[in-house]
Amino acid sequence: MIEVRDVCKSFVANELVLKHISTTFHSGKINQIIGRSGSGKTVLLKCIVGLHTLDSGDILYDGRSFTSMSKKEKMQLCSEIGMLFQGSALFDSLTITENVLFPMQMFSEKSEKEQQDRARFCLERVGLYNVFDMYPAELSGGMQKRAAIARAISLNPKYLFCDEPNSGLDPLTASKIDELIVELTKEFQMTTIINTHDLNSVLSVGEHIVFIHKGEKAWEGPKEKLFVSNCPELDDFIFASEMYQKFRTTLVSEQSGQI
Amino acid sequence: MNPLYHVGRYSQLMYRCFSKPQRVGVFFSQTLKEIDRLGVSSLFITLIVSLFMGAVLTIQTQNNIENPLLPDYTVGLVTRDTLLLEFCSMVLCLFLAGNIGSNIASQIGTMRISEQIDAMDIMGVNSANYIILPKIVAVVLYIPVLVVFSMFAGMLGGYLIAAFTDIITTSKFIYGLQYWFIEWYVYYSLIKAAVFAFIIASVSAYWGYFVRGGTLEVGKASTRAVVTCSVLILLADVVLTQILLL
Repeated sequence: MIEVRDVCKSFVANELVLKHISTTFHSGKINQIIGRSGSGKTVLLKCIVGLHTLDSGDILYDGRSFTSMSKKEKMQLCSEIGMLFQGSALFDSLTITENVLFPMQMFSEKSEKEQQDRARFCLERVGLYNVFDMYPAELSGGMQKRAAIARAISLNPKYLFCDEPNSGLDPLTASKIDELIVELTKEFQMTTIINTHDLNSVLSVGEHIVFIHKGEKAWEGPKEKLFVSNCPELDDFIFASEMYQKFRTTLVSEQSGQI
Repeated sequence: MNPLYHVGRYSQLMYRCFSKPQRVGVFFSQTLKEIDRLGVSSLFITLIVSLFMGAVLTIQTQNNIENPLLPDYTVGLVTRDTLLLEFCSMVLCLFLAGNIGSNIASQIGTMRISEQIDAMDIMGVNSANYIILPKIVAVVLYIPVLVVFSMFAGMLGGYLIAAFTDIITTSKFIYGLQYWFIEWYVYYSLIKAAVFAFIIASVSAYWGYFVRGGTLEVGKASTRAVVTCSVLILLADVVLTQILLL
């Protein structure tokens, strides 16, 4: 479980990018941070993983305060974190296997054979075969995402962070990546936080949703209440496309019929 | 642009960079890769540049020494000392600042904008240490080796001019090369090369590491790296010459 407590973040004096955000992300669930581009989703995610220092507030990883952790404790926490970046962030100069081996080579005490076996297991678990000795540039976007997920889970993390995992992918590949993240979350009982503005992904795999608007938490709740949130900013975000506007019309007419 | 801001940030980066590697084995393997990638790949171009440098130096010296009181072998002597004192260290390093410096800045800059460095930081890897230290060690070890090759190639260039033209006989050129040889000049050149190499690797890495934005910024960082390295090399040359020779 990850608790975000009253987090504020600014890059320029007196211009808060995140304004007093508090929320809780539960383990074994798909938690999603949604919002428009530039709303502060990625900044919040980077604050949670420690890439940005907080102006104020705190992040608690299963009760452990991130801001008051020693360097050694932070290193320990890092080994419990897996992250999937928007652009995959695979190391260009390493092969796919070497990419997956990288965290193990740096932190694991396992033998080389065990590390190789684990890397192979992780790659096969995400559905990658026969690409072990290829370089990231030789793979498609979807395969790169899978390889990045394999690297993220190589150390058996307790927390998985995904920054826009579907960006740049076709709908079918995007849904497969979503399904893979869900499977892994349930399988390893991870606390998973996905940062997205893809509504299809939200509706198909999201469980606990946090909506960020202009740096503030505008709404929070389960996916089922997304369409009846009574939050105008969230409604504007969800019903921006014609398809969802039609869906809302149907929804409203159904509700009036029921009344 | 506040120079003090950059000095402070550069110092902090170097502090992070010069910590004990998390895995010594990984560090050595990275260093060997960097020697191959940055150093060995520069050998051919170093030899070509040095060959022409020595040749031109011989022709220029001969053309500018018209005084009958100066013996013919002066051409060989001046060529040798100019190569040892300045050309093989300073001029070659200015050249390598463009070649190796821009390479380092653009490579690290690309890693930054494609979030590869962020990925390392999240894993708990000291990215400055993992990425930059092997490059610095590789370049500091290998550029002096390139300088030694450059010395030989430069003198060979002068010899070829003596052999294929009639401006000076080869025997007098070789006599000049050997005449009043001061061994310290070689060490002086190697010390300078090692310092310049550190400047090239660390300053270029600095510009690459702190890139913000997109590919355009990587290009700008690469240019800044070459310009800053060149200025600092010239500045360091003045300081080192004052300290080591006078």
